[in-house]
Amino acid sequence: MADFTGKSILLVDDDVDLLTGLVFQLKRLGFDTVTAETQRDGERLIDETTPDIAVFDLMLEHLDAGFTLCHRMKRKHPGTPVILLTGVTAETGLEFDTVTADERSWVKADAMLAKPIRFEQLQREIERLL
Amino acid sequence: MIEIEVNGRTVEAEPGEMILHALQRAGVKVPTLCHIEDLAASGACRICVVEVEGRPGLVPSCAFPVAPGMKVRTHSQRAVAARQTIVELLLANHPDDCLYCIRNGNCRLQGLAEELGVRQRRYVGMKDEYKLDISSPSIVRDPSKCILCGRCVRVCEEVQAVGAIDFIGRGSQATVGTAFNEGLNVSSCVNCGQCIKACPTGALAEKTYIREVLAALQDPEMVVVAQHAPAVSVTLGELFGVAPGTDIDGVMVGALRQLGFDYVFDTSFTADLTIMEETSELIHRIQGGGALPMLTSCSPGWVKFIEEFYPEFLPNVSTCKSPQQMMGAVIKRFWAERMGIDPGRVFSVSIMPCTAKKFEAERPEMGEEGLADVDAVLTTRELAQVIRQRGLDMAAAQADTADTPFGERSTAGKIFGATGGVMEAAVRTAHYMLTGRELDDLAIPVLRGLEGRKEATVKIGPTEVGVAVVSGLGNARTLLDELRDGRRDLHFIEVMACPGGCISGGGQPIDVDLSAVRGRMQALYTLDAGGKMRTSHANASVLRLYEEFLGEPLGHKSHELLHTHYAAREEVVR
Repeated sequence: MADFTGKSILLVDDDVDLLTGLVFQLKRLGFDTVTAETQRDGERLIDETTPDIAVFDLMLEHLDAGFTLCHRMKRKHPGTPVILLTGVTAETGLEFDTVTADERSWVKADAMLAKPIRFEQLQREIERLL
Repeated sequence: MIEIEVNGRTVEAEPGEMILHALQRAGVKVPTLCHIEDLAASGACRICVVEVEGRPGLVPSCAFPVAPGMKVRTHSQRAVAARQTIVELLLANHPDDCLYCIRNGNCRLQGLAEELGVRQRRYVGMKDEYKLDISSPSIVRDPSKCILCGRCVRVCEEVQAVGAIDFIGRGSQATVGTAFNEGLNVSSCVNCGQCIKACPTGALAEKTYIREVLAALQDPEMVVVAQHAPAVSVTLGELFGVAPGTDIDGVMVGALRQLGFDYVFDTSFTADLTIMEETSELIHRIQGGGALPMLTSCSPGWVKFIEEFYPEFLPNVSTCKSPQQMMGAVIKRFWAERMGIDPGRVFSVSIMPCTAKKFEAERPEMGEEGLADVDAVLTTRELAQVIRQRGLDMAAAQADTADTPFGERSTAGKIFGATGGVMEAAVRTAHYMLTGRELDDLAIPVLRGLEGRKEATVKIGPTEVGVAVVSGLGNARTLLDELRDGRRDLHFIEVMACPGGCISGGGQPIDVDLSAVRGRMQALYTLDAGGKMRTSHANASVLRLYEEFLGEPLGHKSHELLHTHYAAREEVVR
């Protein structure tokens, strides 16, 4: 199993069950976890902490919260990889992606995963990006 | 036989059979929607209604048995009007976005509306709005396009014995969904995609990776490499008007080059490599007392099926990666280095008849240090889409051959595309490995054909080996239950998730009949019969790969690159 002891991960998601599950799994991989359930708290943590990687939900108290968090993250910590974890397509029918350079120019995430995920998918992206 | 009268003409029928069967045999066309050949009638859609003299109402011909002297009118004004109304009602709550639908031009509902001349919105219904499920790496579900015919549910349950989807809710609330209506991604779905081929509308489709592939092709930094599976070249032509059973390997390779792929390799090469590894593993298990019967591991739908439903048989599964993943591994971890290319700049695309291959490529076992062995998987259908989109004229395309060193293949690797092909290739090589001689006759007819299960005892030198070939997961379940109940006469079992094998995979053309699948199978065996190199162990490029890099089958390097282990599935996070 991959070992990320000493690495920290910032998680922002308003689904507390998901957050709890992710924290449980990520701790097993050795991560220190920092979590928030709102965009507002997420922004504060971006300013106050220096995580090695971040995972953001898209739709929080604002529907585009995840995009804002990605931008803020890349501005504050330009080299830190960011993963968007979202059910936006199921909720709205809209599809976003990070496939083309054009898309990546405004969706400031290094990867997007559609909910619900299997944890192994997230782990794979984390291994790829770290 | 009994006689019935159809549209004034006498037609023979078997006692007890359904009217529809007699009609089909007599060449009388009655439209169907929910009907699936060889499964019991469900009578769900009523589109096949006919008038039977003396009956007050119309009867569904799929679910109404014939009787001597019965007088049937298939296209009376009343029957046609009923069919029109059924289609109009289905359309009443169907999204009107045909132009944007993946099945535009290939939709059964659209076809019926046209056939029946539906030109007005006589019924204006509430449109059902359901969540689009894009979570699975293989299959996209759009329940708002579902017409509740139940074909996907029945194929998943009755043919594949998976049961990942079923009807949820009652009456107007009824829909097709997974357990707890969670995403397909976290369900017991094995990604085989047979539901896609069963779906008459765009409610089920493959998750497409065309954009990823096109983005890589346009990126000057990337070296884009394609591999194509054995079943694709004998199928792709059908999507361009070529008769089923035509192999267009050369033209397809030419088209891939025109699309901009820098290198094109043939997955049949790694099918040969798989045979070298898998046969060695089988011999090792038989001689060394390993877990038997050994089960093949080339079909990713089948692998997930065991992980989900029969984890106690995981030790029996061959540790060999599938040919797709072996190719992915040797491309990035051998070939790239030889070519002096940074593996991170290689974008590896595989063209597969399969939707489960998309899931397989994404598995955490299939890569190293965050570098995936295969980056994107396109189905046969998606490749055809890209070819059309880029305006390539297949009739005028220049034929070409695959690149070295992974372009050379034996016909043993090529017949992997049909159920029984892996077994036949393995028996050829096992015979050679154990006796030092080739089989007198390389063709093994008992292992061929579209039957769901074939069994044989094969004599290899002094050893008698019990083998079974199974396709369709329902058939696999039956055999696994026999093994669980103590059956001990089998040494090696080939399982393909899809009925008929890869030629009938979930990524293959939609809406074809069995004769097309037979044609594809015949094409593979014709290639084999006329092949110059018919055994995997004779593939000089495979032998060179062992000489220059891998060492020997089951050696250290092979284990690192070509083998893996699977585990029972537990879902914690959704």
